[in-house]
Amino acid sequence: MKRTFSQLSLAPLGALLLFGFVLAPVAEARDGGARAGGGGRDVHVNNSNRDVRTNNVRNTSVNNVNVNRNVNVDVDRHGGGWNDNYHPVATAAAVTATVAVTAAVVGSVVRTVPANCAPVNYNGVVYQQCGSTWYQPQYVGTQVQYVVINPPY
Amino acid sequence: MMARKKLVLGLLALTLAAPGFGAEPAPAGTSRPVVNPVDPASIAALKKMGANLQTLRRFEVRTDLSSETVLEDGQKLQQSASAEIQVQRPNKLRALMWSARAERELVYDGRTATLYTPALKYYAITDVADNIGAMIDQLEAKYGVQVPLSDLFAWGTDAAPLDQIQSAMNAGQDIIGKDLCDHYAFRQGQIDWQIWMTVGDAPLPRKLVITNRADEARPQSVSHLVWNLKPTFKDAIFKFTPPKDAHPIGIRPLNSK
Repeated sequence: MKRTFSQLSLAPLGALLLFGFVLAPVAEARDGGARAGGGGRDVHVNNSNRDVRTNNVRNTSVNNVNVNRNVNVDVDRHGGGWNDNYHPVATAAAVTATVAVTAAVVGSVVRTVPANCAPVNYNGVVYQQCGSTWYQPQYVGTQVQYVVINPPY
Repeated sequence: MMARKKLVLGLLALTLAAPGFGAEPAPAGTSRPVVNPVDPASIAALKKMGANLQTLRRFEVRTDLSSETVLEDGQKLQQSASAEIQVQRPNKLRALMWSARAERELVYDGRTATLYTPALKYYAITDVADNIGAMIDQLEAKYGVQVPLSDLFAWGTDAAPLDQIQSAMNAGQDIIGKDLCDHYAFRQGQIDWQIWMTVGDAPLPRKLVITNRADEARPQSVSHLVWNLKPTFKDAIFKFTPPKDAHPIGIRPLNSK
């Protein structure tokens, strides 16, 4: 699984994105579900019937007139802006799905962690421990992703 | 229903009976030939709105956004998202952003910006500049974090250079909600954009449409803005207090792996 984005052929990429997408809402839903309205009104969004083709995004609209567009929005940025979680690859770095059968490579990044992970606090840092694999959450843009790390202790 | 049909038919007959009706060239002197694609009055209106925005010290504004993604074959999907932002110039801002996919909170206290994900209870704090405009630039450039309605803080400043506008026109008047608005259309590089601003001495943007011409499918975003210039929020909202069980995590700079 230690492949960079550019090395991925389209077919496996699609498969990975499917995993990423299907699992993504689970992560946010773990602690009470996606909330709507900004006021704590709990609404549970179910995207399990969503067609995989909707993940093949080639471009997005933009939300701001005055923004420095020197940097390629689609490669380096988070996609379409503050509302965006749609762009398949959040960064130029390889973002892979959590595939249980694959040994997680240290340094690789995933969007969600497996369901059997447990949060662990160590030295003031929060980790997700999943068997022998450890993940450290981080923001990439406005999205939380998880980096596979060596066990902290 | 019947009467309406008759009316339509009647109008149709009238139109047919008068050949050239509607196709007739306007009499000389009434149509203004377009010499300069940049209409100075439209630029002046934008300037006036920008100046007005910069005078607002304390306000809140809500936006409902429809954005689009373009699929590989050019088919487009539209998505919805909303945000509420509360502002105390020059250096305090709070934004709540929500959609079916995510909820985020951004709190700027004049020194730091905190990004919080309620569903996961993760937050990240980063040091930022001491004014809203520079803070927005930093978050965007360094972390790829976009602040909703960031244009509101650019218009009326050097961050929104008017000489970049290649075409500007007045598109007449329109009514947004219950507000009479002037409608303008601009072209700026790969971006076509339209703005509806309230008429009068203190124009505010009520609607914004941005068309991305970089893709032939022309994905478009539409924002409706609702303003409250007499907000009742307290200054305490600009200080992020981590909820119980919330954990700090890092935020990765864009250029790092």
